[in-house]
Amino acid sequence: MAAKKIYLDYAATTPVDPEVIEVMTQCLGFNGDYANPSSSHGPGRSAKIRIDKARTQIAERIGAETNSIYFTSGATESDNMALIGVMHANKHRGRHLITSTLEHKAILDTAYMLKTQGVDVTFVDHDADGVISPHQLAAEIRDDTVLVSIMHVNNETGVLQDLDLLGAVCRERGVLFHADAAQSIGKVSLNVGDSPVDLVSLTAHKAYGPMGIGAIYIRKGVNITPMIHGGEQEGGYRSGTLATHQIAGFGKAFLLADPDREGPLLAARRDQLWGGLSRIKGASLNGHPTKRSPHVLNVTFAGIEGESLRSALADVAVSAGSACNSNVPDPSHVLRGMGLSDALAASSLRFSVGRFTTEADIDYVLSRVQQEASRLRELASGAPDWTAC
Amino acid sequence: MDYGSEVKKRFLSPNRAKGLKEDAAGVVSGESADRTLNVWIRFQIQAIDGVICAVRFNVYGCPYTVATVDWVAEWLEGRPTDALLALGMLKRREELGVPVDRLGKLLLIEDAAAVCQEQLERLNMQNGN
Repeated sequence: MAAKKIYLDYAATTPVDPEVIEVMTQCLGFNGDYANPSSSHGPGRSAKIRIDKARTQIAERIGAETNSIYFTSGATESDNMALIGVMHANKHRGRHLITSTLEHKAILDTAYMLKTQGVDVTFVDHDADGVISPHQLAAEIRDDTVLVSIMHVNNETGVLQDLDLLGAVCRERGVLFHADAAQSIGKVSLNVGDSPVDLVSLTAHKAYGPMGIGAIYIRKGVNITPMIHGGEQEGGYRSGTLATHQIAGFGKAFLLADPDREGPLLAARRDQLWGGLSRIKGASLNGHPTKRSPHVLNVTFAGIEGESLRSALADVAVSAGSACNSNVPDPSHVLRGMGLSDALAASSLRFSVGRFTTEADIDYVLSRVQQEASRLRELASGAPDWTAC
Repeated sequence: MDYGSEVKKRFLSPNRAKGLKEDAAGVVSGESADRTLNVWIRFQIQAIDGVICAVRFNVYGCPYTVATVDWVAEWLEGRPTDALLALGMLKRREELGVPVDRLGKLLLIEDAAAVCQEQLERLNMQNGN
């Protein structure tokens, strides 16, 4: 009998929803809408209809105008486009970028690259719970600040930033505001129509859509230099043949990802999980206890080595950090940035629930974590204090 | 991380993780640690007439560290006490398939064993051997 395996790494990626697979399949194969959507013939127009429909579905999910959504290969590309494209197009206004050390590597590494090109980068401070206050942000904005980039839902801790308040500070000072919302869709509401956000990075694969496709929302009037040339697709912002099947799947995924319906269900599973984990000796929650998305729990198990705990839970798919960094033994930069020691950061696991997580799944995971935490703690009996602080 | 079958087996079911009685005849302990490597190891060794008859350990570390400590504990039993200074971690690393970037952690096993060797010599001197 195959060993039971529970997937609690929805923040890394999600299984593609069956309805999404169905729509994608309709765009493949000779009898499907497989043609190049840039072609002017009938099959091309059919494919374009799929693209247009998906674009509308994605725009509606975030309260945007349809023609302000541009497809990319994913949130990483969208993040690069936002930072590099905006800083380049607006260099006459200044060379100052503000972001946070708690961002995904897609933002941080791009910011560091821009720094080598003469952009001045400031990392705005945050509190011990990983929350950035508008006052902290306002204090960092200068006359030459062009762009602020702060993620909506932190991928490692689930901490939620208040985009309305942070965006208002930016708007008041004439600074553009970008939010990486890769983790947001289907968990928390996002409405760029009501919110002072100028650019948003989106991805399909964290909302039960396919990998390899994402989008960037660009508010009308925002100047941005394209990075990929050759074909003039997406209004010249992002050239390259549009992948009809991926985009159709992306649209369907966003149509299905209703945070008002899914959010409470995710929160219930998350709270069930934390209810059990919190009773384990040495367990503590990372990130703000209430300003958080309903799907992520980052927990430190003081006194238990993190790689060992994760390995012992081979039947439970969780992460020791973001998936992009999971194979790197360095402790999470997000947890270190929130003040955890190397030992505690290394003793932390990220659990993330999803659409297909059941109550029974959580019960099983709790029994396994309790079992292995107890075993490893006994194995490390007598270890020095630094392993637990 | 893709661990080999022996590493997995020893990590999930280490055989010598329970302690010896501290006041039993011939029992000494030795530990080593490195905070930057996130490793702590403690051996308990019982040696009678220059032969290691029992080895137990506690460890805080990654699965490779746990598995290697378990391997060393098994290997030491029945050997003369000078085996504590001949663990040969460079070779063991290869045999167990431990990535080379984890070697620093494994060398701490040698350090803990060396402390045990010192403790045994001290014990022998106290006993007039």
